[in-house]
Amino acid sequence: MASRGGGRGRGRGQLTFNMEAVGIGKGDALPPPTLQPSPLFPPLEFRPVPLPSGEEGEYVLALKQELRGAMRQLPYFIRPAVPKRDWRRLPRELKIRVRKLQKERITILLPKRPPKTTEDKEETIQKLETLEKKEEEVTSEEDEEKEEEEEKEEEEEEEYDEEEHEEETDYIMSYFDNGEDFGGDSDDNMDEAIY
Amino acid sequence: MTQAEIKLCSLLLQEHFGEIVEKIGVHLIRTGSQPLRVIAHDTGTSLDQVKKALCVLIQHNLVTYQVHKRGVVEYEAQCSRVLRMLRYPRYIYTTKTLYSDTGELIVEELLLNGKLTMSAVIKKVADRLTETMEDGKTMDYAEVSSTFVRLADTHFVQRCPLVATTESSDPGLPPPAPTLVINEKDMYLVPKLSLIGKGKRRRSSDEDAAGEPKAKRPKHTADNKEPIPDDGIYWQANLDRFHQHFRDQAIVSAVANRMDQTSSEIVRTMLRMSEITTSSSAPFTQPLSSNEIFRSLPVGYNISKQVLDQYLTLLADDPLEFVGKSGDSGGGMYVINLHKALACLATATLESVVQERFGSRCARIFRLVLQKKHLEQKQVEDFAMIPAKEAKDMLYKMLSENFISLQEIPKTPDHAPSRTFYLYTVNILSAARMLLHRCYKSIANLIERRQFETKESKRLLEKSQRVEAIIASMQATGAEEAQLQEIEEMITAPERQQLETLKRNVNKLDASEIQVDETIFLLESYIESTMKRQ
Repeated sequence: MASRGGGRGRGRGQLTFNMEAVGIGKGDALPPPTLQPSPLFPPLEFRPVPLPSGEEGEYVLALKQELRGAMRQLPYFIRPAVPKRDWRRLPRELKIRVRKLQKERITILLPKRPPKTTEDKEETIQKLETLEKKEEEVTSEEDEEKEEEEEKEEEEEEEYDEEEHEEETDYIMSYFDNGEDFGGDSDDNMDEAIY
Repeated sequence: MTQAEIKLCSLLLQEHFGEIVEKIGVHLIRTGSQPLRVIAHDTGTSLDQVKKALCVLIQHNLVTYQVHKRGVVEYEAQCSRVLRMLRYPRYIYTTKTLYSDTGELIVEELLLNGKLTMSAVIKKVADRLTETMEDGKTMDYAEVSSTFVRLADTHFVQRCPLVATTESSDPGLPPPAPTLVINEKDMYLVPKLSLIGKGKRRRSSDEDAAGEPKAKRPKHTADNKEPIPDDGIYWQANLDRFHQHFRDQAIVSAVANRMDQTSSEIVRTMLRMSEITTSSSAPFTQPLSSNEIFRSLPVGYNISKQVLDQYLTLLADDPLEFVGKSGDSGGGMYVINLHKALACLATATLESVVQERFGSRCARIFRLVLQKKHLEQKQVEDFAMIPAKEAKDMLYKMLSENFISLQEIPKTPDHAPSRTFYLYTVNILSAARMLLHRCYKSIANLIERRQFETKESKRLLEKSQRVEAIIASMQATGAEEAQLQEIEEMITAPERQQLETLKRNVNKLDASEIQVDETIFLLESYIESTMKRQ
C-alpha cells in the first residue's frame, strides 16, 4: 500500500534494469522530451534514388496509363445508377421500361451469367461501336433506334444507359463533338429510366 | 488481411471497376465468405447492383463461389489476386519482349476481360492489329492463332476450370451454381479450331464481303447461326508462370551483377531447362549434369567444356550459394537453390532500404548484425568501428523502425534485467513482412496523391480535352492554320504550364507505383517460399 499513490514514494525514478547495459551512461544528456506528435511529413534526411527511366520504364508507364483509361471504358466498369424519378409527376411516355422485362431479368440473371457474360460484353462493345458511329445523326433518330434495340435485348440496356447518364466525368460523350454545340450537348436522352 | 492491404484493394477496385464493385469487393474481403442476400443487406446496395458487381468480380477471377449445404451459394474474395492488378503492365510488357506485339495484345485482352474463349481472343487481337497496320493490309487469324498456341505451350495462358458434366441423373432442380473442375493434363490443351478469317477494321466499308455478316446490329443473331466451336472453354492468363519468369529474371540479373555475363547465361540456361520439370514452389531445381548444361547452352556461346566446369565450380563455391553441387555423376550435378536465391534477394532489398533511409553507416551496422547473427551493444561498436554514441543512436533508430530486433538471453531464472544479455539480431522474415506492409501503404498513398492531383486540375483537364477534340475534328474537316491557332490559344500559357506540371507529377507517381510493385514481388516471393518450407 505504501508504494501506491502515483509512485511518489521512495523508489521514484528507479528503473528495473541497469541503464548502462542499454548504453546510457551516468550523467549523459538525455534527448529532449517530445511535446507534440511527430510531424505528418517528417523531414527527409536522404534524397530518394531516382526512378528508372529509359525505354522500358517509359513503355511500362505508358502501358499502365493506357490500361487505366481502357478499363474505364469497358463494360465491366459499373457506374452508380441514376436516382429514381417520381413517375407520377412526369408524362408516362418518358418511361421506356416495361415492368415485365424487369421481372424476367432478375430471376434469370445470376445462373446464366457466367457462361453468357462474355457474349454480353462483346455485344455491348459492338453496340457501343455502332452507336458511336451514329452520334452525328439527329437525336430523334437515335431515340427510335434505341427503342428498337431495347425491345430486342434486355440487360445490356443498363450498361449503355448508365454510360450516357454518368454523373462523374467521362470524356467519351464530348469527345466526338464537332465543337458546334460546345456546352449543352449532354442533355440528350437524359430522362430515360434505368429500370 | 491487414488494413493497408484492404485500403489498397479498395483503391484498385475503385479505379478499375467503379464504386459499386469496390463496395462489394471490399466488404467481401473484410468479412470473408458470404451469401448474396447478406451482402446486399450489409452493404445497403440493391440486389441488382450486387449481382452485377459479383458478376464482374467473378469474371475477373477476383471472387470465387461455393455451394454450401441447403443450396446456399457463398462468395469469397481473393485479396491477393486483387493486388495483382498493379502488376498488369509488367505482365503485358514481359509478353511483348517474349512474343512481340501479337502476344502482348493476347495477354492484354485476357487481363482486361478476365476470361475469354480462344476464338474471341483471336478475333479481338486480329482486329486491333489490323487497325494499326497500313491501309489495305489485314492480320490473318492463323498468325494470331499460332502465337496463342505458343503461349499455351509455354503455360503463360491456361484454361479456366470447366463446368463439370455430371453423369448422375439428378432428379429435380439443377444445382444453384455449377461446380468447376479442371484436370491438370487438360489445362494447356488448345482446342482444334479452324479459324479462317482476317481482322476487320472498325470503320471500313470495304470489309463487307458477300456472305460475311456485318459487324453491326444483328451480331447476336449471327452468333446463334454459327455455333462457336469452343464454346465453354475459357482461357485466362497464368499469373504464376509470369511470376516464375520474373523470379528467374531477378536471379539471372543478380548473378550478372555479382559475377559476369557468362555465368549469368549459364544460370539462365539451367533455369530454362528446369522450367517444366520443377514446380514453381520447389526450394531447388532438379539436378542437372554438367554435360546436359553444356549441350543446352545457347548456340552463340562457344565456351569449352573445361571453362564451363570452371564457371560452375565458381558458382557453387560462391558464398551466396545460388548454385549448389549435389553430386559428381555426369561431370557434376548442379542445382539452383531457389529458396536461398530468393532469401538473398530479399535481404539485399532490406539492406538497400536501410542504406537509402538511414545512411551508409547504418547500413554497415545492419550488414554486420546480419552476418554475425547476434551481437551485443558493445560488440557492435567494436566491429563496426563507429563511435559509441553514433552506434547507439543508429541502432535505436533501426530498432524503432523494426528492422532490427532485440533478443533477450537471461542469465538467471528470474529474468532480472540487470543480469540479462540483450542481443541485437535481424529476423529476416519479420523484417520482410514489415517492409511489405510499408510497401502496401506506400502504394496506397501514391494512388491517393495521384487522384488528388488529378481532381485538383479536373476543370483544366476537361477544358484541354475539349480543345483537343475540337482541333482534331477541325483538322479532319480541313480548317485553316489561323483557325487552329486561335483554338489553341484558348488554353493560356500559365494553364499550359499547369498541365505540364500535372503531367510530370502523375508520371512520377505512376513510375513510383511500378517501382514499389517490383519490391513487393520480391518480398512476397520470399515470404511465400519460406512459408511453404515450414
